[in-house]
Formats: sequence, structure tokens, C-alpha cells
Amino acid sequence: MSGERAIETKERQGLRRPPKARRSPEAATAWGFVLPLVVAELAFVAAPLALGAWYSLFRVDYFELTQFRGLGNYWTVLTSTMVQQSLVATLLFSAFSLLFTVGLGMALALRLEADTRTNTWMRAIVLVPYVISMLVGSLLLRWIYSRDAGLSGLLLGPFGLADFSLLADPATAMAALVSNAVWRDSAFAMIVLLAGLKAIPGQLYAAARVDGAGPWMRFTRITLPLLRVPILIAVVRLLIHFVNVLTFALVLTGGGPNNATQTTGLAMYRLGFVDFRIGEANALALLVFVFNLIMIGANLVLFRRGRSLSP
Amino acid sequence: MTRPGTTPRPAAAPPAHRTRSWRRRRAGRRLGGLAADLLIAAVALGPILWGLSTSLKPASEILAYPPELVPSRPTLEHYALLFTTGIHRFVLNSAVVSVVAVLLSLAIGSLAAYALARLRFRGKTALLFGVVALMSIPLPSVLVPTFTLLTSVGLADSLTGLALLYTAYQLPIVVWLLYGYFGSLPIELEQAARIDGCSRIETLRKVVLPLSGPGLVAAGLFVLTFAWNDFVVAVVMVSSESVKTLPVAIYGYLGFYGRDWGPLTASAMLSILPVIAVFLLFQRYFLSGMTGGSIKG
Repeated sequence: MSGERAIETKERQGLRRPPKARRSPEAATAWGFVLPLVVAELAFVAAPLALGAWYSLFRVDYFELTQFRGLGNYWTVLTSTMVQQSLVATLLFSAFSLLFTVGLGMALALRLEADTRTNTWMRAIVLVPYVISMLVGSLLLRWIYSRDAGLSGLLLGPFGLADFSLLADPATAMAALVSNAVWRDSAFAMIVLLAGLKAIPGQLYAAARVDGAGPWMRFTRITLPLLRVPILIAVVRLLIHFVNVLTFALVLTGGGPNNATQTTGLAMYRLGFVDFRIGEANALALLVFVFNLIMIGANLVLFRRGRSLSP
Repeated sequence: MTRPGTTPRPAAAPPAHRTRSWRRRRAGRRLGGLAADLLIAAVALGPILWGLSTSLKPASEILAYPPELVPSRPTLEHYALLFTTGIHRFVLNSAVVSVVAVLLSLAIGSLAAYALARLRFRGKTALLFGVVALMSIPLPSVLVPTFTLLTSVGLADSLTGLALLYTAYQLPIVVWLLYGYFGSLPIELEQAARIDGCSRIETLRKVVLPLSGPGLVAAGLFVLTFAWNDFVVAVVMVSSESVKTLPVAIYGYLGFYGRDWGPLTASAMLSILPVIAVFLLFQRYFLSGMTGGSIKG
């Protein structure tokens, strides 16, 4: 255990303080070893982004750059009603999803924290929606929410709402979309928070108990403050995910009714791959990417701090 | 309900306050806990089990009201229909792309991770941060430009292109997991191998990799489930029938079968049953991988 810790510390220093630069055969070998990684990331992540930035400045007809537009595409995108609506939808979707996902994740983490046999099983069960494909998860929920399934009739019939269709009303369609996110992603929040909980020394609770602190007091004065970084990590990573996700909306609601659930991710997809307005799609993609960069920066800062949490 | 940090109570004679009412309350709490667990499991697994049940019902009973929870006359007709229309081709495509992506990313990833964990070179810190930053880049935000690029180099609409993309997208997490794993191995073994005249690459192949089973499994599982499950990348890059992966085919069924939920739920089951099997077999690797990407647990 202590050996592991020593290595941990060494690594951590490695992250913060670069080793002295020197030209040595070792450095040459090292660069040879990381070269394939660097090439892969440059080719399939960096190059597309650069090309996208270039394309976003042009009018593009079927992948032919026809006319330089400068920031024209950005202006078109930002002033289009579809994109503005999608920003509102994304904001609503992300805010509610974040709230419920982190809340439920916290409840699950607290409930399943102790390493009993039941809890180990329960954690695995909670994770199942997270490891299956998003497409299939959304498809299954769509089947449940559809009137065909007869489930809504069975559940809502007694309230005189047997004919009610969840996906046909803008407000409830948004609720359905949020429930899809919560159903799948609460498990992720749970795992991150669980790891954070495990890092809190038990003596703190014992001491608080001796001092007469009740469960609520212990939760608000010890658990929450010490979980600040894990909570922020969960929030940032889920926010990145929610702002960009398009599968939920594409499969579950198709963006409807009346574009109420057309999130920005879906709008981008439509713009690029249904309407083939490649210039504008690239402009929107880059706008979203800039927001992501800010979130990724936050993630990096938190990540550095999160590592010092390790037990 | 167990609270964080509760230490196991030492077994002792029950103190005076553990009266009958105390015991009853404890029994009540256990019952409540069981009910809560059942509710959680029902919500998590309900949609999947309901889909499984639907996929096994004869077409005439799927829309019956009130619905049967367990099919009384189970049938495999929907699965048979899918196979006669050629779903096995899409399953095969998905499997090939996933396996290639796993092998490629483990090969490239272990080289890079070894260099980052054990060698000293300029730019290492920047690379490590780059890896963490890349782990949080969301795929949809790079889809449009990636499609633009792949089309211009002729790699779009091919299984090769997909496998390469999956490799590039999953490499950061693979590198990060293996970097942590290699760093935790005792360095003495590698030093001994070096003294015996092994080159760096031989040390990696003959000493480090054989000791890294669990790390390689965790990383491989991440790539495997990602590539098998991915829909967003594949639906954008792929359009020909012959190179569709399973999720893209399922999405196509959604248009083709419309509200014909028998084949739809059957195809959903074909996609998730292998994932659930793999997950249940290897779940502790998944857990270590997930926390490795955020905080060490």
C-alpha cells in the first residue's frame, strides 16, 4: 500500500514538474513510442478541427468551397431561429438533466457506499443502462413511452389520461428526454461520487459523531465540502456530454414536437447531414466546440485537484 | 441505511437499549432498504426487460391491451425475420470494426503509455495534459469537420475509416489507463531486464505487457464497448448497406419497421445482450476504468 503511494506521489510530481530537458537516446526512444499516438490524434482530431475552421469561412456546395464568406456563416447560424430555439432546448435539457442526474447519483452513491454483497450487485445493475448503447437505450424508452406499448394507458388510465401521449406535448416530451438522460447517466455520477466518498477518512465521521453531529449535520458539514471536487468533476463532464449529445433527441423524440426537443447537437446534425449546409454546420460545430474548450479547461483544472484526493 | 465512514460495529452482547422495539425498527429499515433496492433495479432494468419481453411476443400480442408482462406464448419469429433479412452482416461488421479498434488502440496505446510512465523526455507533461484534454472532447462536436475530412481523403463510408476513428477517439483513455497501470508495476523487474540486455521495446513486450493483464483488459473493454455501441460516428460516416454497423442498421429499422416493435426490440436485444454479458463478466475492470478517468477510487 505504501509502495503504491510512493509511486503515486512520484507520478504526481511528474505531472506538475517536467523533468529536465535533455537530448538523450532515451528521449529519442520515447518520442518514437509516442509518435503513433500523436499522429493518430493529429490526423483524426486536430486535422478535422482545422479543416472545419477553414470550411466554416466559405459557402460550401456539396463539399466544394464556392465563395469566401468570412464570418458570414457564423452570423447566419447565430441569427437563425432554428439554432436559437435549439439553444433554449439545450439549456433546458442540460439544466434539468444535470440537476436530476447529479442528485440521483449522489443518493445512489450514499446508499450503495458500503461494500456489502448486495451493494456490489446493485452498483452493477445501476451501471447496465450506462454500458449499453445510447441508441438502444433511447429506442427502448421510446417503446415504453409510445402509446402502443399500453404501459402509459395502464399507468395513467385510472387518472382518466389513457389517451395521453407523452411524446406529443412539448413539455412532457422534454421531460421524456430528460428522463432518458437521467436513466442512463446517473450511474456515471454515482461512480465518480462513490470514488470521492471512499476517499473521505472514516475518522472524520467518528469524530463528528462523538461531538454529537446528526446525520444531516455530518452530510452537510463533512460529506458535501469534501466532495466538492468530485461533484464539480461530475458536473463538468456531464455538462460536456449533455450539451453535445444528439442520440437521445434523435431517437426518442426526433426533435419534436414543434422543435421543442431539438437540441443544438441535433440541429448541427440536421444542418450538416440532412440539409448538407456544410459551411454553416462547421460554423455551428466550432461555436459549440469553443464552449467545450472552456469546459475542458475547467475539467483539466479540476482533474489536477482531483488527483490529490486519491487515498 | 449505511452512512459514509461507518466502521463495522464490534460484535458484543446486545446493550440494554436493543429492545424488541429496536429490533422491530431495524427489521423495518431492512425491509425498506430491500424495497428501495428493488425499485432501483426495476427502474434500471425495466426498459430492457420490457424490450426483451416484447421481442419474444407474437406480433398479434404486442399491442394487446392490457399488456402481458411475461409473454405466455414466447416466439423467436422476430429474431428469425431479422436474420432472414441479413442482420448477421451488420453484426459481423460491428464485430470486425470493434476488434480491429481494440487491437490497434492497445498496440499504439501501450507504446505511448510506457514512454509516459517510464521514460524521461521533454514535452511529457504537455502530452499527459493533452491526453486528459482529449478524453473530454465530445464526439458530436467534431463530427461535421471529421466527415468533411474523411470524405476528402476517401476514407468515409468504409470500415477502415471507422476503425481508425474509433482507435483515435479511444486512445486517450487507453493511454491514461495503461499509464496508471504501468506506473504501478515494480520498476525493478524492468531494470533487471535492461541489465540483461533487453531493449526498451523488448522490456515492454517481455516484462511489462505480460504483467499488465488487468490493465489491458480494462482498456480493451472500454474500446470494445465504445466501438460496438457507437451510433453517432457510424451513422454519419457510413451510408452503404455493406459497411453499416449494427447500431446504424437498428436506426434504419426504426424507419423501415415503423411501429412494428417486434423486430425493433429484437434487434435491440441482439445489440445489448453481448454487452451485458461482457459487462457482468468483467464489471470490476469497468469500474476501475471509469474512476481512473476521473478520480482514483
